[in-house]
Amino acid sequence: MTATATSMSDEDLREEVRAWLTQNWKDHLPAPTPWTTSPALRAWLGKVVDARWAVNRWPVEWHGRGLSDTQAKIVEQEFHAVRAPGAGQDKTHFYAISALTFGTDAMKRQLLRGMLAGEITMCLLYSEPGAGSDLAGVRTRAERDGDDFVVNGQKVWTSGAASADYGMLIARTDWNAPKHRGISFFFLPMKQKGVEVRPLRQVTDESHFNEVFFTDARVQAENLLGELNNGWRVLQTALAYERSVMGEAARGPRRNSGRAANDLIALTREAGRLSDPVLRQDLARVMSYRRVNALNNARAKADLETGTSSPIMSLGKLAMSRILHEEARLRTALLGAGSLLDGAAFPRADDANFLTLNAYFTSIGGGTDQIQRNIIGERVLGLPKEPEVDRDIPFREVRAG
Amino acid sequence: MPAPAARCYPSAMTITAEDRVAMTDAVRRLFADQHDESVVRANMETRSGFNAAFWSALADLGVTGLMVDPDHGGLGGGPLEVEAIMEEAGAALLGAPLLSSFMATALIEGSGDSDAKSRLLPAIAQGRIAALALTGDAGTWTEDGVALIADREDTALNGHASFVLHGANAELLFAIARTVDGFGVFEVAPDAAGLKSMPLPTFDRTLRLARLTFDKVPAHRLDAAGWSAVARTLQLGLVALAGEQAGGARRVLEMTTQYAKVRYQFGRAIGSFQAIKHMAANLLLETESAISTARAAAAALAHTANDADELVALAAFTCADAYDRVAADAIQMHGGIAFTWAHPAHLYLRRARADVQLFGTPAAHRERYLKALGA
Repeated sequence: MTATATSMSDEDLREEVRAWLTQNWKDHLPAPTPWTTSPALRAWLGKVVDARWAVNRWPVEWHGRGLSDTQAKIVEQEFHAVRAPGAGQDKTHFYAISALTFGTDAMKRQLLRGMLAGEITMCLLYSEPGAGSDLAGVRTRAERDGDDFVVNGQKVWTSGAASADYGMLIARTDWNAPKHRGISFFFLPMKQKGVEVRPLRQVTDESHFNEVFFTDARVQAENLLGELNNGWRVLQTALAYERSVMGEAARGPRRNSGRAANDLIALTREAGRLSDPVLRQDLARVMSYRRVNALNNARAKADLETGTSSPIMSLGKLAMSRILHEEARLRTALLGAGSLLDGAAFPRADDANFLTLNAYFTSIGGGTDQIQRNIIGERVLGLPKEPEVDRDIPFREVRAG
Repeated sequence: MPAPAARCYPSAMTITAEDRVAMTDAVRRLFADQHDESVVRANMETRSGFNAAFWSALADLGVTGLMVDPDHGGLGGGPLEVEAIMEEAGAALLGAPLLSSFMATALIEGSGDSDAKSRLLPAIAQGRIAALALTGDAGTWTEDGVALIADREDTALNGHASFVLHGANAELLFAIARTVDGFGVFEVAPDAAGLKSMPLPTFDRTLRLARLTFDKVPAHRLDAAGWSAVARTLQLGLVALAGEQAGGARRVLEMTTQYAKVRYQFGRAIGSFQAIKHMAANLLLETESAISTARAAAAALAHTANDADELVALAAFTCADAYDRVAADAIQMHGGIAFTWAHPAHLYLRRARADVQLFGTPAAHRERYLKALGA
């Protein structure tokens, strides 16, 4: 069982996974996300990790099997076929990927198994009130004190902060270096006296995000990821992942009342507007955006499989912003004065109103549409960067406000 | 009578993906070597609108007979190959009647008339110029828009047809006309008595359109071909046009991005200004969406997929609107230089505006899209 499968044939490997799943997979559990977990799910994930199916491409010493991408996909296909979660985390669990790539051996020993098994949960400590689009402008400070760093400052837009065991923190460690070269990256223990989490009431009147305040919070020096002051590079990996995920999916209506809730044609029919020629033009245009995005994503995936890098990947998030804003606009137009109302008793209005506001989750979160257009312009089309007045001066001289 | 749908597009069987890439590469090289902007501008001043030597070179590569089956001297390609080749043609602003060759092939294949096939398909493969009279002055390319009427014996046509691509220069002419039993497809000799063709002045100077009037013009009705054969021909035409639009959009965006890197104002490349950069990013989304939908529509048509109607309609309005937007914004992003006749940006806008109207408007395609979705 502990032998690596590198010398195994594809057929033998497939046999082995199937046999293991037949013997062990009995439940039906929701797929894990970085922020949700349950005892049953944790027990299952622990089993998957210990049987070395969680991260097949990783080396044997870190819970993997050192498999090729092709063989790892065989394992993932078999898990997928019986809807068992837990395999392929070497592609999806970006906290664990960051720990493996940049962490010390001590940190990996301490955290990796727990992260993969869903026992250790994580949150992102990136944005600050003064560092949103300009993330490299963070002012939360981490100062060396013996074997620890002492952290002071404030983070915002942190999901799952109240339950998280660790936060992936970017903090300023050198105020004399230029902004990108004085940032370090830590795994900070969240359950300590110096960390205060306050839920944030969002524009949608929900609370999924938090503010996090640090007052002399402590993190061990060995929880530094990558080199001191080299955190910006570590961060890029995680950010790219976040953006690609946001282009593929977004929340739908929250009331979900009836089949029509998710079907714009049915909603139009229900509103008695399906024969209105002007509205039909609008409906066709809005519906096409989602269909076209699916075709773009399918083409990007096909390109990736043939080894061609595709410019389309970076367009998904921008496309999704337009889809969400335009669909919400159409839903509102269908209701007219009905959109004045709200709440569970008026599910159509509640959906239209909620989706109108929640569309900003995608067009602002993970980098605004405007930042995304800069990235596309610069990295895909090769246009020159805007001159940055604060790029090469010591950070303590950078104007803030 | 053979089932037309099954026989329509043989490409899935005969041409591999590798063949398609190789063929497209060869055509791209031919355009790069022999069809630059100066050729486009020279063609604009000619009656035919194209360069006969270049047309022969395309025929030699097999492109004019791309959709003709090998038994009749062609390559046996289908919508996937047509779309790929039209991306290149669109990028190079080809003015030659390639679109008409493809559509005429589809019409003849779809007619199920074996005599017509053996007489006409080899001629198309060899590069004879085909024209299709499909709509009247209304320019709707729908059943309502047909303004030709056949006599009771189906031997002569009266009325008119307009917006006929290469209609004044055709060597092979096909017309759809109202008949006693609905609609029929007719073969007409371009020099037949009673047929007058008048070239129309066009906004896109690379385009050749004609209005044809018919006064008891002798015509030969092709077997078993009614509106359904025309509808399939138009589907193929829309996929070809979508390819042209996607290829044109990509080329004009490349041109504009390149200019934004080398044009300096205020001591900076203009592409470093977010005002320009953000327009470029938006246009990339439009362009890639056009490419994705054009190719998806071609694939659906090639495999006679259930969602072919939906995808062709989607590609038709997505690509039309995308090309129009990209070409229009390209002029704005270039600034004053693109307000001159000498700069090529307007050539793309003229083509994009023409392509928006051909074979139905984006609004009409959006209606068809909704109908295909059951709305």
